[in-house]
Amino acid sequence: MMKNKLNVVWWVIGLVFLAFFPKLFGIYYTNVVVTMAIFAVYSLSVNMLLGYTGLLSFGQAMFFGFGGYGTALALTHIPGIGVLPAIGLGVLAAVALALILSPLVVRVSGTAFAMLHLAFGQLMYVLALKLYNITGGEDGIANFPVPGLFTESLKSSPEHFYYLAMVILGISTWLMWYMTKTPFGQIQVGIRDNAKRIDYLGYRVPQSKAVIYVLSALFAGVAGSVYGLFHNLVSADGSLGIGMSFTPIISVMIGGVGSFFGPILGVAIFQLVDELILRYTESTELVMGVILIVVVMFMPTGFMGLFRTLRQKISTRRTPEAKKEKA
Amino acid sequence: MDPMVSMYISQGIHGIAYGMILFLIASGLNIIFGMMGILNMAHTAFFMLAAYFCYVVVGITGNFWLGLLFAPLFTAVLGVVMERVFLRKAVGHMGELILTMGISFVIVAAIKKIWGTESLPLQMPEVLSGMVNIVGVTYPVYRLFVIGLALVILVFMLLLLYRTRLGKIVRAAVSDRDMVNALGININLVFMFVFGVGTWMAGLAGVAIAPILTVFPGLADQVGMDAFIVVVTGGFGSLLGAFIVSIIFGLLSSYGVQFVSQFAPVLMVVFMAIVLAFRPNGLFGVKE
Repeated sequence: MMKNKLNVVWWVIGLVFLAFFPKLFGIYYTNVVVTMAIFAVYSLSVNMLLGYTGLLSFGQAMFFGFGGYGTALALTHIPGIGVLPAIGLGVLAAVALALILSPLVVRVSGTAFAMLHLAFGQLMYVLALKLYNITGGEDGIANFPVPGLFTESLKSSPEHFYYLAMVILGISTWLMWYMTKTPFGQIQVGIRDNAKRIDYLGYRVPQSKAVIYVLSALFAGVAGSVYGLFHNLVSADGSLGIGMSFTPIISVMIGGVGSFFGPILGVAIFQLVDELILRYTESTELVMGVILIVVVMFMPTGFMGLFRTLRQKISTRRTPEAKKEKA
Repeated sequence: MDPMVSMYISQGIHGIAYGMILFLIASGLNIIFGMMGILNMAHTAFFMLAAYFCYVVVGITGNFWLGLLFAPLFTAVLGVVMERVFLRKAVGHMGELILTMGISFVIVAAIKKIWGTESLPLQMPEVLSGMVNIVGVTYPVYRLFVIGLALVILVFMLLLLYRTRLGKIVRAAVSDRDMVNALGININLVFMFVFGVGTWMAGLAGVAIAPILTVFPGLADQVGMDAFIVVVTGGFGSLLGAFIVSIIFGLLSSYGVQFVSQFAPVLMVVFMAIVLAFRPNGLFGVKE
């Protein structure tokens, strides 16, 4: 009971802090937080597949990109469309793509799944470059209108955009967290650990994989859509490129696969490192590579795992039994 | 001969030459995967690195043949070092995939740092730079040389795998590595050797393609992605599958460029999607 109340207090403090964040820290850091939130939702969508179902996808960027392109196209071509329906259309595009792909991809797993997505992701990237009548080719779609809920345009008011983005991304995060607590979420963990056993228990493994796959695409679409609105630009390299597929994987690995809040921590660390590096050197690739190598070799459970072992060490040292043994 | 027909034939040989290069990369990936269960994401980075090594060797000695000899060897040594130092430490498939991905990032970044991002031209040797006339079709000698080189490597690989004791051990390790280990064979040494041969083949492909496409940092993405698609479509661990699919893809890409130039890269992925829809483990893949 006590712990629950403490949790509520922490949540309230966190929400108040986020609510007054733009007033306290100014536009620059507000935008940093929006970027972090977008990538947090995106990484959580990857972790939904990777951590909870054990499916590693090298092509999550296609859902991210479809979300962005869907929203941008809707805002460009449908006059007077509101911002929420536009986001909805983008998410719908991502979900539609996932539905089309799901019968094919749920039959494979492991390396084949990863490579299949690498290929499909590449296909979407090439198509986005080639179909320049629709996608604008290499330039992408830029300068589309960004209407607000209450105002004409959000372009000149990043503060309003912050609130809109944070509410949408916050709800997405909460939904994903809620999902892991449902029986359905537990079945996903079961599939990751032992697909055959879940099959014998009477659950349909390919079908539940398909559902999680589509859900993951949905949230990647949300992130991509907000990302497109945030930059007012959707381009093949910025939203669909192979780098965009790997960024969330890196965040998930840094934070810790499988733990729900790990990816969020990973995004925070990754974004901070990225910010700092860009001040000194151009080559983020090198740093990302080194981070990946170090994480895999020395802390395979990520920072979340590192914290967990540290906490265990500290808490065991405090117990009298441990002291007795030492003495 | 009718110019149209001769053009089709020369496009066909073009396709086969490209397919052969794909095969060199894909078979290296394939034997590593077949034996160690590791999908080496850094494979294409090694492939590109060999092209740069060759550029350096040719720059120093002025001799392409020395480049062809030494660049793949350097690459293989680096591959072995990577396997010994890093890959042994990785845990599970996920760890291996991500670790090799990280290494490929580092290699690409290092290449950009050392040699810059522009295309570096590589002169092919005098002997191979001419054109040859075969039954009325004039054709660049170099591409025929590439086809020949790949065929020689294929024969060499088959002999090594099916006619030597080492090949027997490798094949046994593909089907059950623990058992081979238990029989008193130093499996780690065999792994190291296989990894070296795999990266050596990637290096050879890198050197072979360098005079055609020039040397630039996008090489790994451009050709490497095709090689990965070949392995997935042909079936993991199947040399025959890699060979057949490489040639199909080579032809698809050369005729694709001719007829539907905009969408040539799409053709391969569509082909792969169709194959995987019916055979999830690839054309010649065995069930996991």
